Amino acid sequence: MKTHWWKALGVVFVLYAIVFGFLGPVPRLPILNETIRVLYFHVTLWFAMIILMTASLSYSIGYLRNNSPLRDLKAREGAVTGMFLATLGLLTGSLWARFTWGAFWVNDPKLNGTAVTMLIYLAYFVLRGSVEDPQKKARLAAVYNIFAFVMMIVFIGILPRLTDSLHPGNGGNPGFSGYDLNSDMRMIFYPAVIGWTLIGVWIMNIKIRYTKLIWKQNEHLD
Amino acid sequence: MPVLSQILEIVKLNITLEWRQRQSILAVLLYVLTTTYLCYLVFNGLISSETWNALYWIVLIFAAVQAAFRSFQNEADRRFLLYFSLVKPQVLIIGKTIYNFFYLLVIGLFTFLLFLFLLGNIVADPTAFIVLLVLGSAGFACILTFVSGLAAKAGDNPALPAILSIPLLYPQVLALSRTSIRALTGFSWTVNGPVLLVLLLLALVSLLLSYLLFAYLWRD
Repeated sequence: MKTHWWKALGVVFVLYAIVFGFLGPVPRLPILNETIRVLYFHVTLWFAMIILMTASLSYSIGYLRNNSPLRDLKAREGAVTGMFLATLGLLTGSLWARFTWGAFWVNDPKLNGTAVTMLIYLAYFVLRGSVEDPQKKARLAAVYNIFAFVMMIVFIGILPRLTDSLHPGNGGNPGFSGYDLNSDMRMIFYPAVIGWTLIGVWIMNIKIRYTKLIWKQNEHLD
Repeated sequence: MPVLSQILEIVKLNITLEWRQRQSILAVLLYVLTTTYLCYLVFNGLISSETWNALYWIVLIFAAVQAAFRSFQNEADRRFLLYFSLVKPQVLIIGKTIYNFFYLLVIGLFTFLLFLFLLGNIVADPTAFIVLLVLGSAGFACILTFVSGLAAKAGDNPALPAILSIPLLYPQVLALSRTSIRALTGFSWTVNGPVLLVLLLLALVSLLLSYLLFAYLWRD
């Protein structure tokens, strides 16, 4: 129990976000109406994704420092899990866009940022797949991960602020805190971010343990 | 030997080698010519400022990826050993990037002239367009040189250079094409100044990253 409490916390937070996300009070806003509840899933999944991608980045930097295969494994699984959360965030966001902006996909800087993030990480997986030698694979992947992460932050963080966006907080729109993320919503929003991150770390841990078992088995066979 | 003259030597060496293998730059220029002519045939009568601008950047980006990938393709194994015994990897990447900057600028100018000739001279402010092209070549060179080094190390998967580098170029191409459309219709230096600064900063960030990371890339 001492080492697994955070998994329970993750489950509790996510369940809390699901139950109170659908039942709790939300501000009545034109156009958004009840769809504002998607915020608890779409935005929180994206926060969790960025946290996991950052973890992956730090493992990649760590790998370049000491060349431990475990760091490389952690970097890979961080990126895989982040990609999984990104896909969920994309689907929920797409659904939300359909009911507020009228289309599943609109030409908006934040959406282009999403697309570029996912393409970069897909390219990262293709790069990993096309190198045979495990050490070389790990090194090239770590280098690309660092380079790509910085470009991704530039794209999703800086460029949308230069042009208009349909998202809040850009192009003269007020941010969330300005009008709609009131204290009721914050009480669900922040636990949901923590919950999704913990669930993500849990998924990542299971995948790492699984690969470690395969390594052990291969050693045994050798 | 001081670092600056070493960088200069790398640039000179690359130019000499390029001159000896003239067919490779001619191949890239021919590639631009055929794709531009294809645009001319397909978009005959449909050319507005917007399509002119969009086609220009698409033709240029694919030519640039091809051109830059060549810069490491031939030397991944043999010539690199020579470099490695002579200069630091940081010197090598800076030298290569400077060389590629000029190379891409030549290709960009050639594409520009070809577009003026085939798709119509509809550029209101050529000076502004060329300034954007210089900034774009610098940014492209910084990212593409580094990614080509990476792709050359990763083996000969022919799709790899394009899929690794094109998503990384999105921020620049987006800023470039949004601004260059104004060079076609009427350009204001005061309004577009911040965008030019952002383009310069993007190039510098990617140059700094390749400077820091290139040593890890080539360590075998």
